[in-house]
Amino acid sequence: MDILGSFALLLAFLVAVYAFAAGIAGILTRRALLTKSARHAGMAVFGLVTLAVAALEYFFFTDNFSLAYVAAHSNSALPGFYKFAALWAGQEGSLLWWSWLLSIYAFLALFLNRKRHPELMPWVGVTLAGVQIFFLTLNNFVSNPFHVFASADMAGIFHMARLSEGSGLNPLLQYPEMVIHPPMLYLGYTGFTVPFAFAMAALLARYPGEKWIHITRRWTMVAWCFQTVGVLLGAHWAYAVLGWGGYWEWDPVENAALLPWITGTAFLHSVMMQEKRGMMKVWNVWLVFSTFMLCILGTFLTRAGIVSSVHAFAESSIGAWFVGFLAIVLVVCLAAWWKNRDYLRSDNQLDSLVSRESSFLFNNLILLAACFAVLWGTLFPVLSEWVTGSKISVGPPFFNKVNIPIALFLLLLTGVGPLLAWRKTSYDALKRNFAWPLAGGLVSGAIAFAFGYRNFYALMCLILSVFVALTIAAEFFRGARVIAAREGVNLLTAVGTLTMRNTRRYGGYIVHFGMVLIFIGISGQAFNKDIQQNLSPGQSLSIGPFTIVCQNYDQVQNDNYQSERATLEVFRKGKSEMMLYPERRFFNASQVTETIVAVESSPLRDLYVVYAGRSPDTNQPVVHAYLNPLVKWIWFGGIVVVLGTGLAMIPDRRPALVLRAVSEKSWDGALAPAPGALPATAPARGPSRSILRKSEGEE
Amino acid sequence: MDCFICSGAQGELQRNPGRRLRRCLASLLLALLAVAAAPGIASAQQTPRAKALGLHLKCMCGGCNDTASTCTHSGGAFAGPCDTAKAMLKEIDQRIARGESDGLILQDFVQEYGPTVLVEPPAKGFNWLVWITPVLAPLLALVLIWEVVRRWRRRAALELAGGPPVSPELLDRARREAEKESDE
Repeated sequence: MDILGSFALLLAFLVAVYAFAAGIAGILTRRALLTKSARHAGMAVFGLVTLAVAALEYFFFTDNFSLAYVAAHSNSALPGFYKFAALWAGQEGSLLWWSWLLSIYAFLALFLNRKRHPELMPWVGVTLAGVQIFFLTLNNFVSNPFHVFASADMAGIFHMARLSEGSGLNPLLQYPEMVIHPPMLYLGYTGFTVPFAFAMAALLARYPGEKWIHITRRWTMVAWCFQTVGVLLGAHWAYAVLGWGGYWEWDPVENAALLPWITGTAFLHSVMMQEKRGMMKVWNVWLVFSTFMLCILGTFLTRAGIVSSVHAFAESSIGAWFVGFLAIVLVVCLAAWWKNRDYLRSDNQLDSLVSRESSFLFNNLILLAACFAVLWGTLFPVLSEWVTGSKISVGPPFFNKVNIPIALFLLLLTGVGPLLAWRKTSYDALKRNFAWPLAGGLVSGAIAFAFGYRNFYALMCLILSVFVALTIAAEFFRGARVIAAREGVNLLTAVGTLTMRNTRRYGGYIVHFGMVLIFIGISGQAFNKDIQQNLSPGQSLSIGPFTIVCQNYDQVQNDNYQSERATLEVFRKGKSEMMLYPERRFFNASQVTETIVAVESSPLRDLYVVYAGRSPDTNQPVVHAYLNPLVKWIWFGGIVVVLGTGLAMIPDRRPALVLRAVSEKSWDGALAPAPGALPATAPARGPSRSILRKSEGEE
Repeated sequence: MDCFICSGAQGELQRNPGRRLRRCLASLLLALLAVAAAPGIASAQQTPRAKALGLHLKCMCGGCNDTASTCTHSGGAFAGPCDTAKAMLKEIDQRIARGESDGLILQDFVQEYGPTVLVEPPAKGFNWLVWITPVLAPLLALVLIWEVVRRWRRRAALELAGGPPVSPELLDRARREAEKESDE
């Protein structure tokens, strides 16, 4: 089986090399058969890497510890789903996992477009194969997961050795979310390869029109959605497992996951500028390029450990390979752009500074500023050590100081941007759209202030959040009211109809609303409290409105771990409210102890209790309790973001009615669009929002 | 004056009542402290000032990104405050007791561990760049955007001038419609 796995992996590498070479040859010689063969090779890589992954999983599930990787990351008492997840517990497996997910994306991209875009796809195939070659090189020659234990006897003959038991999975990873978090994040990282391949292909093939943008947008949304889920699950894992009461510490690896997410977000917004107005083409291409490079950088930061991190379990000296690959990608991107820069000339002009266009410009500026600040802070210690020779730290306070104002400004734009019209917005329209939401925000801020919400940033965040939420609600209400009146349905049904007619727009609003919830959740951090105390049975501690009384400590054990568990009764205003059972588990295989946090979560606050163990000074059991307001909003907001993204990916159910309304009443009166502002097929998507709204209003 | 705590104490104390009283009060204070600390804070007692100062210092345990005031380790025998963090806070406590200023304490830590002990790099020398760049870069980008916008607007003016001849009435009507449209 190990032979099968490593053979499949080697073959995958060769096939990827063939796909790359044959692809280029096919493009140069214009031989359709060669191009087709390259495409098939590109798809075949998926089958081969799948075989390698299956072979490695087979070793995990059969507890075959003759494989060094399996012995290092599993043991026979490990529950089944953790054995499955142990595949990506170490570097070799993670990189194989990267290759596999990439091969799935590549397969889908090549297969779904096999009969479309004949001028674009060969380049897409070549780019995808190029990236695959890099990762398969690592899998085969640098970090191969199929190394076996073997010893040579006197005659020089090798004998396979097999350990009787493995050293077990890192206990930090033995948590249900860890089975989902890495795949999600990796689906995000690898997913951004597809937009990168399409952008590169469009540039190299000088593909006419904005078609590549349409194709790329949906792929980017898929990758972006996975990245969002991955980042949030990672935050939730840190919160629920690491036991320090927080979910985000600006750790280099957390930052690395955030960076492509930010540029991906910027791209999803600026893409509209190119679709609607034919502007920002260079910018978009570079956003896609940088997003991909940041994904590689992210994988590199996780794997190479050049900056200290809690993800130290993934470190190694593989860095040079990534740096080399990043350099090649950068050179290729620069060359492709320089050679074809005239292809990216903007079609249109800006009519007014108070317009949707300029709000997108600001949105991109702010997002990029955030991205730069995070990247800068993450890499600055390396730069500083290189220049000055002394090590420095850039810790969470730096990131908070720099990013909180940026994030608040972004929140403001989230409310303002979508309501500005394309081209030009009048003062009256501004007043009408924003007066009530702004008033709502200020009133809620005043109420919160009166109730003791006395932190500048938290208060600003609340005011802006309410403002954005109200602008979104107003948008839904305005549209739904028209539909409700016209079609004689109730408002709720009308909201559904409205959303389904322009899923992208209203899905986008839902994503924005999810982000608002996340922002509110994060602002709760300003009011965190914690207390740590010796807590023997019968003793109690108080935090906020809660009193925690310790009842007893007991022992639980199974094959995998032994655990010491505290039984705590929580009282509020003298009334017993709940029981909490924080634990400490000692894992037999790895001989490591971990905390299992008890969290009682409500929309208002989390009561988060850690049993720290016995103090080495006093031998008394110690309990650390945290009161973290509003954390639940973050996770709930995450769900809303995912739902919104999913909705935005569904094709519109736009009735022909709109077309008629536009052509009969408004079209002749409305200004003819500027040249290039609308693609020839545009009316089906709505020529412009204001026209659509007008037609609905008139009926 | 006799005291119920020290009654029957050693001869020396009995010979010196003033000293005895002081001792007595001291033991009373200690006893009170012991009672107060009985449910007790697990870590070494820190003044709020020490805790606040500890927030500026990185815990030098080498396993985290945390500060001396917040570092706890979930792995290992005890998930309470990490030993390194406790030692650092204890040192701060002692220095505060000696009347040292915050600046001096931080400076001594930097001397002992190097600048890496500070969670934020001080804004001087080369490290000044870490603070100034995130402010300067967006400003620079803003200037660039301004330039791009200016160019787009100039092109708008050019295109209008170079377009086909349009009658003044039609232009007027177009303007009115445009205003109406953006008001809707």
